[in-house]
Amino acid sequence: MKHALPFTLLTLALAAPGGAEEFFTDRIAPLLKQRCFECHSHESGKMKGGLTLDSKPGWAEGGEHGPAILPGAPENSLLVKMVRWTDADHQMPPKEKLPDEEIALLEEWIKRGAPDPRAALVKPPPDADWWSLRPLAAPPVPGAPDPSLTHPIDRFIRARLAGAALSPAPAADARTLIRRVTLDLTGLPPTPAETEAFAKESAASPLGQDGSSPAWLAVVDRLLASPRYGERWARHWLDTIHFADTHGFEHDVHRPNAWRFRDYVIGAFNQDTPWPRFIQEQLAADTLFPADTRLTAALGFLGAGPFDASAEGTAPAAYEYVDRDDLVTQTMGAFVSTTANCARCHAHKFDPITQDDYFSLQAVFAGVGKGNVAYDEDPATTVQRRQWTTVLEASDTIGPLQPEVLLTAENETLVTQWEAAGGGREIWQTLSPDLYTPAINSVLTRLADGSVLSSGPRPDTETYTLTVSSPPREVSALRIDLLTDDSLPLKGPGRLDNGNLHLSGFEAWIFRAGGAAPEKVGFTRALSDFDQAGYAAPTLIDGDPKTSWAIHPRVGEPHHAILKPAAPLTFAEGDRLVIALQQLQGGQHLLGRFRLSATAAPAETLIAVPAAAQAALLTAREQRLPEDRLALAAAVLQERAREELSRLPAQVLVYAASAANQAARGAILKAPQPRTIHILKRGDLDKPGAEAGPGALSAVAALNARFSPADPQNEGQRRAGLAGWIAHRDNPLTWRSAVNRVWHYHFGRGLCDTPSDFGRMGGVPSHPELLDWLAVWFRDEAKGSLKALHRLIVTSATWQQSSALPPPPASAAQPVTTLAPHRGGPDPQGIDPDNRLLWRMNRTRLDADSYRDAVMAASGRLNLTMGGPGIAHYNASPGPQATPVLDYAGFDWEAPAAPRRSIYRVVYRGIADPFMEVLDFPDMGLLSPTRGFSASALQSLTLFNNPFLLGQSTHLAARVAGTAPAPAEPIRQMFQLVLLRYPGAGELEEFTALAQSAGLPAVARVLFNTNEFLFID
Amino acid sequence: MHPPSSPHRYWNRRQFLNHLGGGFGSAALAGLVARQSAAGAPATAPALPAFAPKVRRVIQLFMNGGASPMDTFDYKPELTRRHGELLGPKDKPEGQTGVSGAVMKSPFAFKQYGQSGRWVSSVFPHQAKWVDEMAFLMAMTSKTNVHGPASYMMNTGFLLPGFPCFGAWVSYALGSLSDNLPDFIVLPDARGLPYNQKANFSAGFLPARHQGTLIQAASPRPVPDLFPPDKFAFAGGGADRQARAVLQKMNRQHLTEHPGDSRLEARIASAELAAKMQLSAPEAFDLATESESTRTAYGVGQAVTDDFGRRCLLARRLIERGTRFVQVWSGPQGAVNNWDNHGNIEAELSPIAASVDQPIAALLGDLKQRGLLEDTLVIWTTEFGRTPFAQGSLGRDHNGGSFVTWLAGAGIKPGIAYGESDEFGGKAMHGITQCYDLHATLLHLMGIDHERLTVRTAGVDRRLTDVHGHVIREILA
Repeated sequence: MKHALPFTLLTLALAAPGGAEEFFTDRIAPLLKQRCFECHSHESGKMKGGLTLDSKPGWAEGGEHGPAILPGAPENSLLVKMVRWTDADHQMPPKEKLPDEEIALLEEWIKRGAPDPRAALVKPPPDADWWSLRPLAAPPVPGAPDPSLTHPIDRFIRARLAGAALSPAPAADARTLIRRVTLDLTGLPPTPAETEAFAKESAASPLGQDGSSPAWLAVVDRLLASPRYGERWARHWLDTIHFADTHGFEHDVHRPNAWRFRDYVIGAFNQDTPWPRFIQEQLAADTLFPADTRLTAALGFLGAGPFDASAEGTAPAAYEYVDRDDLVTQTMGAFVSTTANCARCHAHKFDPITQDDYFSLQAVFAGVGKGNVAYDEDPATTVQRRQWTTVLEASDTIGPLQPEVLLTAENETLVTQWEAAGGGREIWQTLSPDLYTPAINSVLTRLADGSVLSSGPRPDTETYTLTVSSPPREVSALRIDLLTDDSLPLKGPGRLDNGNLHLSGFEAWIFRAGGAAPEKVGFTRALSDFDQAGYAAPTLIDGDPKTSWAIHPRVGEPHHAILKPAAPLTFAEGDRLVIALQQLQGGQHLLGRFRLSATAAPAETLIAVPAAAQAALLTAREQRLPEDRLALAAAVLQERAREELSRLPAQVLVYAASAANQAARGAILKAPQPRTIHILKRGDLDKPGAEAGPGALSAVAALNARFSPADPQNEGQRRAGLAGWIAHRDNPLTWRSAVNRVWHYHFGRGLCDTPSDFGRMGGVPSHPELLDWLAVWFRDEAKGSLKALHRLIVTSATWQQSSALPPPPASAAQPVTTLAPHRGGPDPQGIDPDNRLLWRMNRTRLDADSYRDAVMAASGRLNLTMGGPGIAHYNASPGPQATPVLDYAGFDWEAPAAPRRSIYRVVYRGIADPFMEVLDFPDMGLLSPTRGFSASALQSLTLFNNPFLLGQSTHLAARVAGTAPAPAEPIRQMFQLVLLRYPGAGELEEFTALAQSAGLPAVARVLFNTNEFLFID
Repeated sequence: MHPPSSPHRYWNRRQFLNHLGGGFGSAALAGLVARQSAAGAPATAPALPAFAPKVRRVIQLFMNGGASPMDTFDYKPELTRRHGELLGPKDKPEGQTGVSGAVMKSPFAFKQYGQSGRWVSSVFPHQAKWVDEMAFLMAMTSKTNVHGPASYMMNTGFLLPGFPCFGAWVSYALGSLSDNLPDFIVLPDARGLPYNQKANFSAGFLPARHQGTLIQAASPRPVPDLFPPDKFAFAGGGADRQARAVLQKMNRQHLTEHPGDSRLEARIASAELAAKMQLSAPEAFDLATESESTRTAYGVGQAVTDDFGRRCLLARRLIERGTRFVQVWSGPQGAVNNWDNHGNIEAELSPIAASVDQPIAALLGDLKQRGLLEDTLVIWTTEFGRTPFAQGSLGRDHNGGSFVTWLAGAGIKPGIAYGESDEFGGKAMHGITQCYDLHATLLHLMGIDHERLTVRTAGVDRRLTDVHGHVIREILA
């Protein structure tokens, strides 16, 4: 209804005593409410364009386009422009223009100064008193009428069932139970032998009321101890945190090192790493457990999600913001089942999470970059690496030598041992060249001592080739001495004006007497008495003409280098040694005077002893000057350190995120400390507010929500702070989240059915007391052991219930979809159709991974090799850009690694495997705490026609083909392998007909498509 | 609850099904039943059609790479006048690959066409004849200048992966028109997938059956597992029929023994659908049954237009047979053969434009002639526009500031343009629209209120349009 307001009335209203306020209350407020609140008020929950009109500050501050009303100036007020429908972009309300008289009212009100008594609406923050945030306290276990019902889970469940007048289903039969538990814990079906053995044992000693029997406990413990357990449960965690082996987005490239995190997760589950420790390792292993470098792989958690390489390069600010957001979302969803990211643009609408909290979480991750992080697989290697790196740095001749490292008793012993082994006393025999020719135009002269002097023109580059006609019989190493000479600038040993030289390569060939092709000598080590910074001796044998050994600023004194071949060289009569001294880096850095020599002493004792150390060697040990001792120790230990380091296993890489990963992100190199995080108004990067430090949720009252790291600039400490907050025993979210997640995978549904959201938009637990009891038990009794929790759950009568509905009355000929009530009792389907009270077990469908693995287990093809790089189930060819083209259909399923378990396949984020997709393998752009269910024509076609399935059908048929009489026995065997039972008479008849016309593989194909195989009762 | 404030009457699902008439088979019902009972599946039932739909099916033509507006449909004489002037930003804007060069005029001549007098450049002589059937959105904007997020926005409404795309939402909300074909089919360029690869067609958190079915139109096996490969002698032909009969019997027996589980029924129903699809899909994909004149009209057989022409023709055949949403992509990801014309607009845009122009015009003509345009909507769009400033001296860089989308067919006011970019075509000025508005409008045309089609996931009632979106009433008939 529209009120036409005569102008006179308006005038009267304004003229009345106290008129301004009444005018607003009577005329304007209802108008705003009727016309505008739908999109601009707290009561509707909508603040389109950031504007609210339900308080004075609402319009005074305005939204994205500034103040909506300028009191006294209707012509300049945005609101007036809008309601007048000035042009296409200024039309409010958008659907229908206001009647003229209402516009006039608004104009008049604004003209009068827009009196508005309504104070700012401060929306009270959502109540922190919410089930998931309440402190944990174990509720008492309910009593039971039947004292033999001892299992606490059953006590909680039965109490609720009794309250709803429901009775539990009977226990499932032995075959169902062993299939259920084996698939549940390992993702693989039991073998027929395991099934039969358990059925036999169960017949002899059935499960007790308490849900256990020796046979059952033996099965459960066997499965929990199996490495297959970790492979199964790792998959759940990888779903939860959207881990994949590729980036996703535009440049969806493979991460060849991501798999080390997958293997870490498998290992953590198999070792039963306590839950708090699992949290800490994934968030901050590098900071919290630096000694155990293997755990670096755990940081793959931080690199699990997608990465937009294109945006990182071209739109870095937006990229970093959304990338951190993804990490916050992943971390808080996975560990504490909280949707903190909903507080990015405004305080969380439903949960007590402020924007401050949200940006504090962003600040936690403000210093990490995604990329490969290097580490040692064996922590002992790291200890060695640290030790010898310290020695190497202490003995670096460029800096001051460090006596506190080099002259420890331990290290001096190494020097003594070296001397005892003959170190420093080797004999070098001069190799006087018979031929010595420059490649360009230097003039070479052989001097009386066998050395060679260069003079004449100074070409830009040069190579001297020297031929030694009668080298010694045995040579363990060659040596070049750079010698001073008065003819050289600053006495040399180089020919550049500053006395320096660049020797870029030292190559040697052996010309055998009468031999055809020369043998090139392969050198493995090159060492020197002194290296100019950036010009170290190993460059002599790196084959790169642009790297050289040089000696500036230590000119005017002799230097030398020793080159060790892989094995001692032997020479016979008439053999010649040819040496090329390459000076190819350019700039006239030429050798001035040099001498070649050779030794037969054991190569391992040979080092390039600098002059100072040489002095020590010539003196009795007790009479050596301290500086000479130090020089000698440095020379010996430097070489030893290099040797030791070269022998250490190479470091490996994991795709992860940390500050150490500086190379992956240019910006980090420029600013190695965490970026400054601002609280962004409306989540808009262009509207930065106050700075945010690291922290978490203030709604968890027991814990300090703002971290104070000892070093605020140390980003690792920020992550460690969050790990501590999450893993804290008093964080109720963490413990509830973990036990609920485990419950979800055992029952097909969590006690709270939104495992990553315990907020008001999520589900409410069906059994809050049980959830709390389990959380406290898991924390205090099980000490965070998942295996203990699994054991507790699968030994409950609740978990062991049959999934069948109570049988319908025998006489009723009803359609299968209509459910008859339980005879003599209430209809549980009517009371609790969703089975939230667990009056039976939930039937679940094999997930994509389990289906694929179970097929291969039955066909006998399953390859149980663990770990290592991912197995591609596609043929890749180069794409137009970085992303390759993948061909899944053409993949050869007979390839050796193809039958590995599905956890080991390469999960391509943007180019999903169609076979896995039809079975609801989730989009790994998405955090997937649960798997979906689909039944589609495409799924039917895939399971019926895909080459993988048909190939496995062929293998299964081949596996049983030898049994007689055919085809009955092979069919019976196939039933056993796939369905864990023998066929009935009718089934056998039909499958026999099928086998006779289409072949045995056709039988396997059908069995792999049955609901009996696809579903777990 | 949303008050029924609009004049449209609300329909329940039954009325909607009745309205559509036959063909709405058990696929959707089986899917719906399965959806409701699956543990962990989204709890919210799909929104019922809110009002009588004008559009039953949609063909989207997606120009991958960022089609230049000012070289196609957005005529900007100011670019010619100020050609060579350095007016662009000094610093490289986020998401551009290089710094802005000088103002660059279009290398193509523009002319006005039709009653509506739309300006169209010389790259689109065929589409130009159809401007009186089209409604143009001349001021669309994107939140990003980067392909990946921008493609996500136009497909899913979000900058990040993991959200359902438009086709998946439609499949989820409305189900099938046919038993014989998937609801939502994607026809990628024969040269490769677009940016984000298959993630553009994801069902996100919706059940997997709603994701786009990828059909390689040029492949001899366009639907990969429609039939078993020949090398398996025990499968195919009569063996398939026998095996399926044994399977269905066994599954029905299993269902009798395991009553009350709709998922078991859904799998049995799906197997029946699969058999139907085997019968109907080969016919649907067989272009040989089209007349020579039709094939010629689409450019089939001519090198330049063959691939896109085939896929446009296939799109018509698919929607004719009951597929609800077909997405036809032009151009793969990468530096060449698409609409990402960084190096040289004249050299790079001309061939890709020529590859789509005749097929698009033929598609519109064919749909109209067959009466399909009465309830079919055709959309031409891209992920963002390009800079009015040169990249290098002849190309244009990414620009989310303004780009063009056109719509034609059912429910659309023909021959109009909504919105306007600035004088250079680089920034949307008036009648600004975003992906949210486009999506809201498309859903509206299909009878769905975009604010009511929600699924709760990870703490939020998610919509295709996030918290945004206005139906663009100006372009509705």
